Amino acid sequence: MISPYYYQLLVITCINVIMALSLNLVTGCAGQLSLGHAAFMGIGAYTAGILTSVYGVPFLLALIAGGVSAALFGLIVGLPTLRLKGDYLAIATLGFGEIIRVTILNMKITGGAFGLRGIAKEANLATAAAAVFLAYWTLMRLMKSRFGRALTAIREDEVAAGAMGIDITRHKVLAFVIGAAWAGIAGGLFAHWFRYLNPSSFAFARSVEILSMVVLGGMGSLEGPVIGAVVLTYAPEILRGASDFVSRYRMFFYGAILVIMMLVRPQGLVGAGVFRNGLRLPEIHGLRGSKARRMQGPKLRTQETAKDSQQHAFAKGLGAAMPGGHRKGSTGTGVRQRGGDQHADS
Amino acid sequence: MYMRFTDNLFGSNTSHSKNTGCNSNKDYKRMSFNGPKGGNGGRCNKRKALRASNFWMFGTVVFLAIAVLLTGCSGGSKDPSNSGGSKDTEKIIKIGMVGPLTGDYATYGQSVRNGVQTAIDEINEKGGVNGLTLQLVAEDSKGDSTEAANAIQKLIDQDKVTAIVGAVLSGETATVAPIAQDSGVLMITPSSTAPGLADTGDYIFRNVITDDVQARQMAEYAVSELGLEKFAVLYANNDYGVALKDNFTAKAEELGATIVAVESYLDRDEDFRAQLTKIGDKAEALYIGGYYTEASKIAQQAKRQGIEARLLGADGFYSGKFVELGGDAVEGALFTAGFYSGDTSEDIQSFVSNYKQMYEEEPDMFAANAYDTMKIVAQALEKSGNDRDALKAEMAAVKDYPGVTGKTSFAANGEALKEVIILKVENGRFSRAR
Repeated sequence: MISPYYYQLLVITCINVIMALSLNLVTGCAGQLSLGHAAFMGIGAYTAGILTSVYGVPFLLALIAGGVSAALFGLIVGLPTLRLKGDYLAIATLGFGEIIRVTILNMKITGGAFGLRGIAKEANLATAAAAVFLAYWTLMRLMKSRFGRALTAIREDEVAAGAMGIDITRHKVLAFVIGAAWAGIAGGLFAHWFRYLNPSSFAFARSVEILSMVVLGGMGSLEGPVIGAVVLTYAPEILRGASDFVSRYRMFFYGAILVIMMLVRPQGLVGAGVFRNGLRLPEIHGLRGSKARRMQGPKLRTQETAKDSQQHAFAKGLGAAMPGGHRKGSTGTGVRQRGGDQHADS
Repeated sequence: MYMRFTDNLFGSNTSHSKNTGCNSNKDYKRMSFNGPKGGNGGRCNKRKALRASNFWMFGTVVFLAIAVLLTGCSGGSKDPSNSGGSKDTEKIIKIGMVGPLTGDYATYGQSVRNGVQTAIDEINEKGGVNGLTLQLVAEDSKGDSTEAANAIQKLIDQDKVTAIVGAVLSGETATVAPIAQDSGVLMITPSSTAPGLADTGDYIFRNVITDDVQARQMAEYAVSELGLEKFAVLYANNDYGVALKDNFTAKAEELGATIVAVESYLDRDEDFRAQLTKIGDKAEALYIGGYYTEASKIAQQAKRQGIEARLLGADGFYSGKFVELGGDAVEGALFTAGFYSGDTSEDIQSFVSNYKQMYEEEPDMFAANAYDTMKIVAQALEKSGNDRDALKAEMAAVKDYPGVTGKTSFAANGEALKEVIILKVENGRFSRAR
């Protein structure tokens, strides 16, 4: 039988995977940098926790309610803020995260600074794993749908996407709402695993942690966030048990690993997809002949995307998200992937 | 239907793209009419099969990776305990400690760890507990509840500790207490003051004066012993300040005193003149529910406004900085505390000098409580032996343990009943008033 320590780590991993996958839809696919993702987790956690502990609602129902309420907040916040771009959006979402945390801190029903206690332990590895599977599957289907490709188009160039007739705000808000809903469900699992909620669990630091998972794993792909979440959940624990010296300075090593990772592999551990199961990125069609071919490399499957006439159109101007072309287009942090310079080529 | 529009507009471009063996242009059109589901059916089988296999392949890889990680880790952790020899492990009693050793709250966690370590060193020097050596396993929580939960699970499952001193912050303790309770491991927090923590279960204890006890004791002292009747309360709007304010006003009013004004401020406020003007000279004493940084400023601004009320406070005042910043204005201030490092008794002086020798700083309240906690656990261990259940029973039976933080007993719910001491600022130094 698996020891409770590893069992718990697996459950936390599942929760983090859902969080990373859901943020990836917003930040990785749609290219909207959100620094308030933990707030949606908090909303879902408190909603589900209060529903089961105070009102006696069944666990699964409360979990869904948590997701729905987080989605509602996603809609309310997304409508005005997603009209902002880049840094402004980041600041707006950061502010939203703080508002939610402080609101929870000052509410009576949430227990305020003392936190919410007395939630039943309803979640287990089976429910968490099922949720991960469901999240992975729905997001995979979503990313391959017309909607997902429209998001990629928006990420690559909003003006071009708008010119193609994509309703930019609607797509961004919808991505935001879906991401928020999954974050809310992850929050519900969190609440029913730990049985105690405190506003500080959903502060800015958690948002950044989730963002690091997405960036470390590789934005825009599906495996990336999963691997990023697994690595960043286990890394502190492995460092804890490594040796006396390492465990004393483990947060130093943890930070160093992140910095080195970003220097060596800015596109993330997985990048555009080792398993090529993630979003197939558009061909660099617009780049001049041999250079484009060099960047694509022999193994990338370019044919099928080129066949898609819509993508083809976008591909003319874009190429930033290709593994090779990535560096040219990205700002180095891997957070923004808008290929401004390539766009000028077309 | 922007898809149709784009299809028509760029349809001609597709002709020069490479042929994959399946007509995906057609597929794409169908997809755009029927949505993703309909489009899927029209894709060529090769691609569909590949995608399905990719999905399962990724799932399998993740599963295998986790399996390897698990067997690797559990195998690795088993080895030392097996090869370490049962003789050694039988002679050691492991004591766990969880708290923020890094991060924003690191000073609290480090004080607790140092306090526990000082106690363990003293006990081991005297031959340990029934000949068994105590060993501290301190785990970092970064002040994060999730990390604390992982840390305590590791202590319980991997290190197989007999008892845990911790957690340090109230949020952490609330998260890890149910875990310790379910695992049947004694956990005793030397610092978390949030109400109700010890009620989690019979394995959960607390050895610290809670905010409500402090405030009530101060109200009692001020009314009964100082004979004061009119109070003003100025408090920080956080859980600490609110708990102090609520309990002080309740107890003072219960004893027949009047509260003439209640005003609040926020952490890091600089200017308190508005609140002080409202309070004016109506009160004989001003109870400040907050920390020394703000309290020393309040004292100075009150003095400048000619307010001559006596200053009362809680353990948030207990810092050398209070006198340093407050100067003359804080002279005569009274506050509650759980520990006084200047006490002349032999136990306290030997603890303070041992601690200073090891860590080159004065022990604070966290360290003192942690030290006492560890000593109490060791005393219970002497009677119970290295057994988690027997230890719990012995802990509950602790009566009037004479430690550096005064006499300690435990109530039925695991809450410590401790003496509250009252300190006074006299000639720029702390001295014991009660």
